[in-house]
Amino acid sequence: MKRKVLSIILSSVMAAGLLAGCGSSSSADGGSAAGASGGTVAEDGTYELTTLNIIVDGTVTATVDAGQAEFVAQWEKAVSEKLGHDIKLNITQLDHSDYSGTVSRTLTTGKPGDSGYPDALIMSATMLRQYQNTGLLWDLSKAYDNAEFQSRLTLPNVNLNMRTSDGKQYGFAPTYGNGCVTYIKQGWLDAVGKKVEDIKTFDDYYALLKAFTENDPDGNGSAGTYGVIAAGFGKQDEAPYINYMPEFWQGAYPSFYQKEDGTWVDGFTEQATIDALARLNQAYKDGLIDPDTEEAGTKQAREKFFSNDQTTSEGVFTYWAGTWLRTLTDNLTKNEVKTPSGDPESLVQLPPIKEIKDTWGGYLNREAPVWVITDDGDGSDAREQAIFDALFDTMLDGDVVQTLWTYGAEDVHWSTKAEEFVLNPGTDTEKAYSYADGEFHLKQSPNDPNSLWKKNHLDAVLVIAPLTNGYVADDELITEGNTFFTENCVDAPAAASCDTLSEAEADIVNLRTQLMNQAVVGEITPEEAIQQYKDQMGSTSDTIVEELNAQSAAE
Amino acid sequence: MSKKETTAPVVHKKPLGLRLHEYRGFYLMFLPVFIFVLIIYYWPMLGVRYSFYSYKLRDIHFIGLGNFVKLFGEKEFWSSFKNTLVISIVKLLLNTFVAVLIAIFLNEMRSLLAKKFVQTVIYLPHFMSYAVVAAIFTLFLSTSSTGFVNETLKSMGIIKESIDFLHSKTLWRPIFYLINLWKETGWGTVIFFATLSGINTELYEAGDIDGATRLQKIRYITLPALSNTIIVVLILNLAKVLNIFEPVFVLYNSRVLEVSDVISTYIYRKTFLTAIPDYGYTTAVGLFKSLVGCILMIGSDIASKKIRGRGII
Repeated sequence: MKRKVLSIILSSVMAAGLLAGCGSSSSADGGSAAGASGGTVAEDGTYELTTLNIIVDGTVTATVDAGQAEFVAQWEKAVSEKLGHDIKLNITQLDHSDYSGTVSRTLTTGKPGDSGYPDALIMSATMLRQYQNTGLLWDLSKAYDNAEFQSRLTLPNVNLNMRTSDGKQYGFAPTYGNGCVTYIKQGWLDAVGKKVEDIKTFDDYYALLKAFTENDPDGNGSAGTYGVIAAGFGKQDEAPYINYMPEFWQGAYPSFYQKEDGTWVDGFTEQATIDALARLNQAYKDGLIDPDTEEAGTKQAREKFFSNDQTTSEGVFTYWAGTWLRTLTDNLTKNEVKTPSGDPESLVQLPPIKEIKDTWGGYLNREAPVWVITDDGDGSDAREQAIFDALFDTMLDGDVVQTLWTYGAEDVHWSTKAEEFVLNPGTDTEKAYSYADGEFHLKQSPNDPNSLWKKNHLDAVLVIAPLTNGYVADDELITEGNTFFTENCVDAPAAASCDTLSEAEADIVNLRTQLMNQAVVGEITPEEAIQQYKDQMGSTSDTIVEELNAQSAAE
Repeated sequence: MSKKETTAPVVHKKPLGLRLHEYRGFYLMFLPVFIFVLIIYYWPMLGVRYSFYSYKLRDIHFIGLGNFVKLFGEKEFWSSFKNTLVISIVKLLLNTFVAVLIAIFLNEMRSLLAKKFVQTVIYLPHFMSYAVVAAIFTLFLSTSSTGFVNETLKSMGIIKESIDFLHSKTLWRPIFYLINLWKETGWGTVIFFATLSGINTELYEAGDIDGATRLQKIRYITLPALSNTIIVVLILNLAKVLNIFEPVFVLYNSRVLEVSDVISTYIYRKTFLTAIPDYGYTTAVGLFKSLVGCILMIGSDIASKKIRGRGII
C-alpha cells in the first residue's frame, strides 16, 4: 500500500512538473509572459509601449558583465519620464561573430509579440539590404522626418542615402560608418630607419614590410617577425571586403558593386582583382604576410599584433579607426611591449598610399550599421511609431538618453563627481586620474579596473546629432584617430542585394574565399582563380548582375 | 518438435483491462516518462515535414520533393557524402586497429606502475574538447614563425620551406586521422583492455608449457580472445559513421573543402552561413542523412545478430 501511495505521489509530481513546463512555454508564446514585447492602447487612443525588446551585437559595450543592468535601469527611468508612462527594456545581446545567423533564425521562427522576438534590432548595411524587401521591417521614413532630433542633425545624408527609389527607409543610422586605417609600430619604424611620412606608394609600403620581416625590428637578433597581419587576405563575408589589407587591394573590389555609370558588375572577375591577388601572392611568397592571416579572425590578428611576445609579431596592422587606436595602444601598454630601445611601444597612422588615393580616394568608410523596427503587419503604425519614439528618438535626444548610449550609465561608466583612481597600480604603466566635482570623466571599466572605460554603443565623434550637454570624453588618441580617418576617407560602395544573391551568397563567399586563398598562397595563379570562379559561378554571377541592373533600371 | 510444441503448457493471459488495473501503479509511474519521451523525442520529429517545404523567413510553402531533387543534383552534396563515408570509416578502422595494438602492448607490460602511467597519459586527450585540440594543433602545425613543428624541422635542416599541413589537400586527411588517433585511441583501449583482463591466465600458462613465444601467445591466445570485441566495436560504431561533425568542423578550412567537407558541415554552412537560409532544404539534407543512418543501423543490427547472436537495437 505504501509503495502504491508513493508511486502515485511521485507520478503526480513528475506529471505536474511536465505540465508546468508546458504551461509556461505556452504562456510565453501567447505573449503575456515576462520578456514578451507589448503595449496597451491608452484612453486617448494612443499606443503605450510598455515593454521593448531589442537585439544588439557587440557594439553595445555595456555588456552584462560591464554594467548593462545599470544602463537598462537608467534608460528605463529616463525614457519613462519622457514618455509619461513606465517602459521596460529587454536587451538580448548576441554573439558578435554569428550575429546575422542568429538574427535570421530569430526572425524566421518568431513573430511580433513572442518572447524573444525583437521590436528593434541592429543590422549591418548588408543585412538591411537583404531584409528590407521581405516585409519584416517597418518603413520608418515618416517617423524619421518628424523626429525630434531633426533640428540637431549635422549629418542628414547618412540616413537619407539609405532610402529606396520610392522614398522608403527601413533603417536608422545614428552614426556614420567608420572604417579601417593602417597602424604601424613606431618603435619598429625607428629600428629599421624609416619614417611614416616617407611611405607614400605601394613600393614604399612593400619595402617597409620587407624591412620589418628581414631587418630584425624587434631587436632580438633572429628572424621570426612579419611585415603585416590581418583577419584574412580579404574578408569576403564582411563589406567593404578589402579594408583589412587596403594597400594590396588598392582599387579592386572583389564583390558586386555599382560603377560610376550606374551599372552593376562582379568585381571579383575584374583585372583589378587579379592584380591585387598577384600583389598578395608576391608578398606571401616573400614572407612579408604572416601566414596566420589566412585563418585569423580579428581577435586573433590583433592579439598577435599587440602580443607580449614581439619576436613573432608584425609591424603593420590595418584596423578600425578612432577608438581602436586607443584600444590597440592600451593593449600594447598592458602587455608591456617595448621598442628595441626600451621605450613603451606606440602606434602611428599611415596616410593612404598613392595607389589608394588614385583609385578610391582614401580609406573606405563603410556603410553605417543601422537600427531597424520589426513590422507586425497589422496595418497600423501605432506600435512601430511608439517603438521609434521610445528608442530612436530618445537615442539622439542630445541629453540624458543619448549620453547613456554614448558613454554608458552614470556613476558606473562615467561620472561628474569628484574622484581619484589609479590604473595598473604598482606597475611601470601605473597612471593616476583625478577629477574635480562637476567635471565629466570616464571611470574605470566595470569589468577591468585597470583600463579606462571608452564608450558605449554610439561614438561621440561619429554620431549624426551631437550631444548638447557638453559631455565630451577628452581622449587625445581617440580624437586624433577619428580626425585622421575623417580627413582620409571616402564612402564605400553600397552593398548589393537581390534574390539570387541572397540564395547563393554562402556558396559565392565560400568559393571566392577558397580561390583567393589558393591564389595568394600560390596553389593556383590569380588568373586561374578568376577563371575557376567564372567556370563554377559564372552563370549565377551573371544572373545576379542582371537582377541588380534590372533593379537599378526600375528605380 | 511440433509435437513438443503442442504439448507445451498454454499460458492464459488475463484480459488487458484486468492487467492494466493490476499493474496500475507501474503504469502510472511510467506515464510521466512516456509523456516526456513523446514531447522531447517525438514531437520535434514532426519538423521533418519541412523537408517538403520551401522555408525562408515568412515565406513557407509546400514544394513536394523539390528539395530532394535539388539535393541530388548538388555536386557539393555528393562530395560531402563521399567524404563523410571515407573519413568516418578510415577513422573508425584506424582508431580500432591502433586501440587494439595499444591494449595488447599495455597487457604485455610487466611493470604495473608503468602500465598505469601510460594508461593515464593516453586517456587524458579524450577529456579535452575538440575546439581546444584544434587550437593546439593549428598552432603546432602553423606555417607562421609560431609553428612549433615547422620551425623545429627547419632548424634541424630537415625541410627548407614550411609545410602547410592543415591547408594541403593531400595532407589534411592524414593529419586529421593522426589528431583523432592522439585524442581518442587511448580511450578506445578501455574496452579492449577490459576484455584482455578477462582472458583465462591458464591459457598463457599452457602456452608457456608448450614453449610458445610472446608473439605466438599474442597471435594464438590474445587476438582470438579479442576478435569478438573488435567486431562488436566496429559494428556499433558503423551505425554512427554519418554523424561526424565536430572534429571536422574545427579543423577544416576553405582550401581543403574538397576533401574535408562532410554532410554535417555541409548542412551547417547551408543553414548558418547563409544570409537567409532555406530551412526546408537543410531539413531535407538532414532527413536524407537520417535515412541512410537508419539503413546502416539496421545493417549493423543484422550483422550483430549473425556474429554474436543478438542485435544492437
